Amino acid sequence: MSAGGHSPGPRWQDVREGEELKGFSLDLTATRMAAQVSGTQDFYPVHHDGDFARAAGHKDIFVNTAFIRGCLCRVATDWMGAEGFLKSLAFQMRRPNFAGETIAARGRVKKKGPEGRVDLELWIENAGEVTVPATATVLLPLRS
Amino acid sequence: MAYDVKAVKKQWEGYETPLAWGRYPVEHEPIRRHCHMLDDTNPLFLEDGHCPPVMVDYFASLGPYPPADYDIFPVIAKIPTPGNRLINLNQEFEWHLPVKVGDRLGSSHKVVAIHQRGTRLDPLSVWIRTETTIVNDRRALVAKRTNQILVHRTPEEIAAGTSRA
Repeated sequence: MSAGGHSPGPRWQDVREGEELKGFSLDLTATRMAAQVSGTQDFYPVHHDGDFARAAGHKDIFVNTAFIRGCLCRVATDWMGAEGFLKSLAFQMRRPNFAGETIAARGRVKKKGPEGRVDLELWIENAGEVTVPATATVLLPLRS
Repeated sequence: MAYDVKAVKKQWEGYETPLAWGRYPVEHEPIRRHCHMLDDTNPLFLEDGHCPPVMVDYFASLGPYPPADYDIFPVIAKIPTPGNRLINLNQEFEWHLPVKVGDRLGSSHKVVAIHQRGTRLDPLSVWIRTETTIVNDRRALVAKRTNQILVHRTPEEIAAGTSRA
């Protein structure tokens, strides 16, 4: 269950550097891989056709960019609630996340800046390895 | 003939596409499919029609890829490279405005940099950096996005020593 929703979310003053963000895990089952194509409308075969992926030199099909960034975005939007604004997101895909594997999307507060700014450290884990490191900045409301 | 990356850089770096509008306005159903894909039950997206920030380029595109000329893919495909297999390595987003159901989005793309550096997939891999600008129907800036794309050959093409460019 997503935590954000209609909740106003944290006020900037209440955020602590180092605070963990609630993450989530997803099994990359065949059904999830199909949902990935449906959800992103990315029909490039390397994400759904095993023969095509292996012919290109990959172990198997792997989740696409839009799926990965969707996971990272969800960690931030779950946490920041209805009154936060996601200002930026940057990520590196160090290695593919393949069908049959399980990934976890995680995050923590890296640094508090001025005027509601909060820098986050986000990442995708796969079998204990960070396959996608990321950073994000959110703007949070101030408690008056 | 060896791949002439300098000539390709000269021809393509700085190339920009004109602003093109998304195939349809921001709609609820694609947002719901996105959320179902991720088990995201956030009611702001599922019920209230807020667009997840990472979907703005989806709604600024011309439809599913393929067959549509989706996002930066047709630009990448025009650039001569030894291979034609693509991997998106890095992406950066900066958002300026929120987006809701009913908004209309458009985008333009620019080729920022091209260079050649071998990878474990292909010693003739080509790296292409692009920048995408997304606006709403009032032409106000919604988001900027950059991508680092790797273009490589298949193992068969590498074994045969063939190159498309």
